[in-house]
Amino acid sequence: MIKSQNLLNEVESKELLKKAGIPVVEAKLAQSKKEAISISKEMGFPVVLKISSPDVIHKSDSGGVELRLANATQVGKAYNEIISSVKQAYPEAQIEGVSVQPMAPSGVEVIVGMSKDPQFGPVLMFGLGGILVEVLKDVSFRIVPVTARDAREMIREIKGYPILEGYRGQKPASIPALEKLIVKVSQFIEKNPQIKELDLNPIFAYPDKAIAVDARIILE
Amino acid sequence: MFEEKLKEFEPIFYPKSVAIVGASATSIKAGSLWVWALSSAGFPGLIYPVGSSGGRIANLEIFPNLRLVPGEVDYVIVAIPRQSVLEILDDCVTKHAKAVQFFTAGFSEMDAQQGHKLEEQMLEKARQGNVRIIGPNCIGVYCPEHKIPFLMGILGESGSVGFVSQSGGIATKLVTTGIARHINYSKGVSFGNGIDLDASDFLQYLAADSKTKVIGAYLEGTRDGARLFNTMKEVAKVKPLVVWKGGRTEAGAQAAMSHTGSLASSAAIWSAMLKQAGAIEVHSLEELTDTLLIFQQLNHWQGTSTAIIGGLADGGGGNSVSAGDACMENGLRVPPLSLETKQELSELLGEVGSILRNPVDVSQAQFRGLATLFQAIDLVARDTVIDIVLIQEDMDILLPIYSQKGLEEINEFFIELGSRQNKPIIVILPPGSAEPERLQIEQKLLAASIPVFCSMERAAKAIYKLNQYSCWQEAK
Repeated sequence: MIKSQNLLNEVESKELLKKAGIPVVEAKLAQSKKEAISISKEMGFPVVLKISSPDVIHKSDSGGVELRLANATQVGKAYNEIISSVKQAYPEAQIEGVSVQPMAPSGVEVIVGMSKDPQFGPVLMFGLGGILVEVLKDVSFRIVPVTARDAREMIREIKGYPILEGYRGQKPASIPALEKLIVKVSQFIEKNPQIKELDLNPIFAYPDKAIAVDARIILE
Repeated sequence: MFEEKLKEFEPIFYPKSVAIVGASATSIKAGSLWVWALSSAGFPGLIYPVGSSGGRIANLEIFPNLRLVPGEVDYVIVAIPRQSVLEILDDCVTKHAKAVQFFTAGFSEMDAQQGHKLEEQMLEKARQGNVRIIGPNCIGVYCPEHKIPFLMGILGESGSVGFVSQSGGIATKLVTTGIARHINYSKGVSFGNGIDLDASDFLQYLAADSKTKVIGAYLEGTRDGARLFNTMKEVAKVKPLVVWKGGRTEAGAQAAMSHTGSLASSAAIWSAMLKQAGAIEVHSLEELTDTLLIFQQLNHWQGTSTAIIGGLADGGGGNSVSAGDACMENGLRVPPLSLETKQELSELLGEVGSILRNPVDVSQAQFRGLATLFQAIDLVARDTVIDIVLIQEDMDILLPIYSQKGLEEINEFFIELGSRQNKPIIVILPPGSAEPERLQIEQKLLAASIPVFCSMERAAKAIYKLNQYSCWQEAK
């Protein structure tokens, strides 16, 4: 468990990103079971619930994520389970509540992120998402500002590029949508130097669009 | 681009007068070596040795201090202990020197706190007095056109390759390897700690310098990454820029809270930066010199369809097969020759024994005389599906079959072919047991602007980079 006062929660991070024109699956914070249910009804089922806590970095490792919740009963149950399993895993964690968001249909998972290099300043990273990024480290980098040409090159640079093109009948990912998203993130970073690190992980890429399903922003 | 640097750096690369502080008439000091090096190289300007010993060195009077030098001083080389560098800087300001190079070491590279503080004081003095600093901890400028050698008097021919190097050792290796391989430099510089003038300044100068056609760089780090990145972007637009980043394995990614932070190692970021800037990244001295050589000889070339000609006498076979692998594994294409070429080759050489695929094994020509060999090679070189011709020579086999005289004729033919063909002819000369003969041939080919490499892998890598850069420039 890493403590950080500078970690924006998912709801806050996504709000900032949305304002910058970066496509995100919108999330709302529920501070009670009742609230979670009413937000879910508003959004329409199925939904996803995730723990919202500045002290929990790997949400799914501590039972902090519940997917594919199809009705109010399931949402209520999931809310209680998330709160209790996170409390058990991290008794000290400050819990803000649970974020609620529509369950996005699955797409090709990619990651776009930013960190700051001591010599070259903010750099963007692109790679295949999920566990692939952690195990294979198949990622590419570019220094901010990232141009459309840079974005095009950094997407094509990863070894897993054929997966984005739709390998063996899988649906392809929209490369233009990903390029656009990367350039938007670069502009967002340029305008917000107070951001120290950023992960959009995963982003679901579809044949016609790409949208960030989870997001994390760490401030200086 | 960067034209203002030409005038500003004129006194650095073409000084009319150089003072060397730290020369001695009685003991061998670095300063003395510099005096000897400059004077024996035939430096066309004035040389003023400065040192407390008095007396003479290399037939030149040694002045007790810089202020007592009679004429103007453009450029000062300082080779004395670090305790006196601030005083010397005052003298440089008094003499209105334009630039001062500190061979003196023992600054931030050794002693982070004190060394750094001293560097700051030096920089402040230099800025106030309008003097530029090169170094400290560096061997400074190399400019064969103006007869400025590296330390120890190392001086090659003047040419079209420029370089910048953070390290003096690597800079010297670049020059000596260049002398051996006909890589001729327009000018170069080792800038050490780079507290004032650094890689960005010299890259800008080399980009503007009309004598320089291609630029090599050895870098370990930078004090101003943003400036370096932006400079490289501009430089790579006008000239090929080949960069070797040393210290890639240093402890990388800092403690990070994001996936991105934990994956962003310093080496990965440097590679990305170079790619983004349009620079060509290499990973060793061999790769750097190979790439500089091919750019010097060919400058610009698009196309990777390679004909590999092996088995000039016996000894094709496995060598040809592995040559094909080396090319294809390094990004080149080895397409089949056209039907016409294959037909003409089989009429010329007969069906048996020679392999008329690509790689082409022309070993049957040895039984039909040199004229047939030349005709066969000419046929392959003329094939329109082919962009580049790579010829593998094996001294150990060629010598006993053709003797020294035949060997010379063969290589003269390659030179003639190279001058007549509008596609690159490149020769591979692998080391073996006939080194003196091999080196002689290598020199002959290089002098005639035929690129020579000692292995197929190294040639293929260099060709691939040349093609990549040429395509990147086109697509810009």
